Amino acid sequence: MTTTWHADEGLLSGYSHGELDDVRASSLEAHLLGCGRCRELLASAADRTSLDRMWSGISETVDAPQAGLVERALVGLGVREHVARLLAATPSLRLSWFLAEAVALGFAVWAANEAVGGVREDLAMLMFLVIAALLPVAGVAAAYGPGVDPAYDIGRASPMQSLRLLLIRAVAVLGASALIASLGAVALPSLDWRFGAWLLPSLALTLASLALSTYVLPLTAAGLVTFVWLLVAAIATTSSGDRFIVFRGTGQTVFVLVVAVSALVIAQRRDVFEQGGRR
Amino acid sequence: LCSPGDREGGVGTKSDETDEELLQAVAQRDREALRLLYERHAPWLVPRLARRCADPGIVEEVVQDTFVAVWKGARRYRGQGDVAAWIWGIGIRRLIDRLRRRSSHIPMPLERSATVVSAEDEVLLGVEHGDLGAALGRLSPELRAVIQATALDGLTTKEAARLLDIPQGTVKTRLMRARRELREALA
Repeated sequence: MTTTWHADEGLLSGYSHGELDDVRASSLEAHLLGCGRCRELLASAADRTSLDRMWSGISETVDAPQAGLVERALVGLGVREHVARLLAATPSLRLSWFLAEAVALGFAVWAANEAVGGVREDLAMLMFLVIAALLPVAGVAAAYGPGVDPAYDIGRASPMQSLRLLLIRAVAVLGASALIASLGAVALPSLDWRFGAWLLPSLALTLASLALSTYVLPLTAAGLVTFVWLLVAAIATTSSGDRFIVFRGTGQTVFVLVVAVSALVIAQRRDVFEQGGRR
Repeated sequence: LCSPGDREGGVGTKSDETDEELLQAVAQRDREALRLLYERHAPWLVPRLARRCADPGIVEEVVQDTFVAVWKGARRYRGQGDVAAWIWGIGIRRLIDRLRRRSSHIPMPLERSATVVSAEDEVLLGVEHGDLGAALGRLSPELRAVIQATALDGLTTKEAARLLDIPQGTVKTRLMRARRELREALA
């Protein structure tokens, strides 16, 4: 609209204070939509405090990092926003990590299916159980600590306790790994007691590596636990006639003990987590 | 003399860029451009929304929502009309969304001051709307609110119903009556 008419300050001030009647206000609004000069005049008399307050809200939203798919899904599931952000920043809760887990397990499942009924099926089953028990250990080790965690500093600066954050992430990783292992187990040739035999061992190994990480670096702790686990599994399997000895009653009892001792150590040494862990 | 895309400098803005250029920059994730657009357009958006919603807290939230939407959706502006009109379209719809989410909202009182149209106002109305202004002034507040929401704010009858908190059917009948009265007044 091209016009030579412009609003004066009195009219604009009446408008911004809500003192104009409907007809005048409406017609001024129609004019303002097309007239930069009158908008500018209105802007010069606007309430700075309120404008600045609103702007700080806008710039906060605009500057906030875009929530990823995982984070939005977590929020949608009712996880609180800051927890969702810290979870989504967990390196071992990324798709690539899950793919790696799936490939490792998938190989064992494939091997078991290739050699149905033989000694090699048993070996493949053993491999599946051993790997399934190890997955969360690696996942949790890669879930926190300097060097692996890009959100390490954010996590350290967050008001949440480091141990709590660590446990939240460990639970998430355990849950996700358990889901993948369960899917793998369904694809095994024989569905028997071994379907869930890795569950307690994986919990025990994860807690053991967490407890150990109060003494050494998380990655070192995970490496040590993995090494000891593989060694024990190999020795126990070869020295006794039963290949699955570590997953049977006695073995599971030992794992219950490991869970208890590890939980005790973590509770005792929780301060180490708050100080940023051992370096 | 001013027209859409007028070069405007001064007040809070050091930039000579037009709104369209600023919007393009915003689409390229230019924060400073968003700030300039905000400085130009928030000052009129606030009172215009405040005329349609009595709660200043909601108005502030809606203004913030609007500029966040401008930041996210600057790409969607395809040079159709004034940038100001485009921003208004976002703002009024955000307001309606916000009001709908509240269980009940208090619509603005339709009349805030007695309609005494002075000679000076007649000139203004004559400039902007011709005789329409005077005719609008003679409409009942209910009919005028409906005309304002649809013809001036550019809302659909459904959106107007939400804004005014009345059934859509009522909007339609009032709109027909208002149009008939206006036609008669302008005949």
